[in-house]
Amino acid sequence: MKRWLLLLLVFVFSLAFYQPLFGQDEEEYPEEPIIFTKPVKAVIFDHKKHVEDAGLSCDDCHDELFEMAAGTAEENEDFNMESLYQGKYCGACHNGEMAFPANRKCTTCHIGVLGWQRLQQKSGEGESSSEGHH
Amino acid sequence: MDLKRFGEWLKSLKNEGVEHLPIEERRSFLKIGLKVTGVFAGGTILSVVSRAQEVFGAAPDYVDKYPYKPHYSMVIITDRCVDCQLCMDACVKTNHVPPYGWRTKIFERRLKVGPNEYARQFMPVLCNHCNIPPCVRVCPTKATFKDKKTGIVRMNPKKCIGCKTCMVACPYDMRYFNEERRAVDKCDFCWESRLSKGEKLTACAAACPAGVRNFGDLSDPNSKVYKLVHDPDRVVWVLRPETGARPNVFYTIDGLG
Ligand code: SF4
Ligand code: SF4
Repeated sequence: MKRWLLLLLVFVFSLAFYQPLFGQDEEEYPEEPIIFTKPVKAVIFDHKKHVEDAGLSCDDCHDELFEMAAGTAEENEDFNMESLYQGKYCGACHNGEMAFPANRKCTTCHIGVLGWQRLQQKSGEGESSSEGHH
Repeated sequence: MDLKRFGEWLKSLKNEGVEHLPIEERRSFLKIGLKVTGVFAGGTILSVVSRAQEVFGAAPDYVDKYPYKPHYSMVIITDRCVDCQLCMDACVKTNHVPPYGWRTKIFERRLKVGPNEYARQFMPVLCNHCNIPPCVRVCPTKATFKDKKTGIVRMNPKKCIGCKTCMVACPYDMRYFNEERRAVDKCDFCWESRLSKGEKLTACAAACPAGVRNFGDLSDPNSKVYKLVHDPDRVVWVLRPETGARPNVFYTIDGLG
């Protein structure tokens, strides 16, 4: 009986130590893509692509280029293509050296009103509680 | 080797087939609008053709014949379009277009740029102000007409009996029936709302933040539209050339990839 208890304790402790380590290894990020609707409709940003494929970590962009809270950059006067060309926001990497330059491949990120409407339809078909997201 | 012998040597070469060319390389050609049709001499020589015709249809042969003055035209640099629809918003506001109607639209298409790679491309469409307008030909009351001075295809709503024959005749679906006016409505290059009042640009061209919609006088060699259409380095095409309507709205790309 006591051996059972001991084994259980070992198991519980290993879980307790393992989980924080696991959490540090994997960066956590929003699953849903971020959609910018200002200054024009609409631009998509996918965390997954940038973390998994491009190998970026949170602090590569947060909080210097972008605040964590979604929608903060959009409130800035200078959140526009001109700033990107000057190396601000997405332009810090999308400069033709680290990633494709901001003045090319427009529709990679610009999904337009049509793409935006399509995404809204999709999420509308899913759970109806998506209203509360931010 | 002199040129003649070089030519003979070229001809004697066997096409080794594009299958052996690395996909990456073929794709990089495709991206600049060229399709590799042959591989010769172990890959040191490639034959390529422009994909422009295959993808977009032939460039119009009536370029350089401009019967109107000013000969209003729009050149759409379609790969700059991001479908923000600011042009449509401006058009709706300027020309009082009802929610069920349209004078211009943005279409979306997927272009294959690699074996499993697609690029999104947006394409604004508006009335082409055709040189041989099918809508004008079929209208029984001459409610729609081609302006003799500017070439703009306009509407006289008072004469329109609402038979909708023109809507069927338009190859570009750029006419709708306006319930309030009890007449068909369409783009008039903002003639009534802007140009006739001295403005130089249509509302959509003025609203576009991306330089997609270039508007001007195609008979003026100093105009942007003239320069775009006559640029030898550019692929320029029109929509549905097979209908013979001879559009005055031209399409091109800046090659932004
Ligand atoms: S305003 Fe310009 S970029 Fe925006 S949808 Fe219209 S043509 Fe495209
Ligand atoms: S695009 Fe349609 S509405 Fe415009 S001139 Fe041609 S046929 Fe007429």
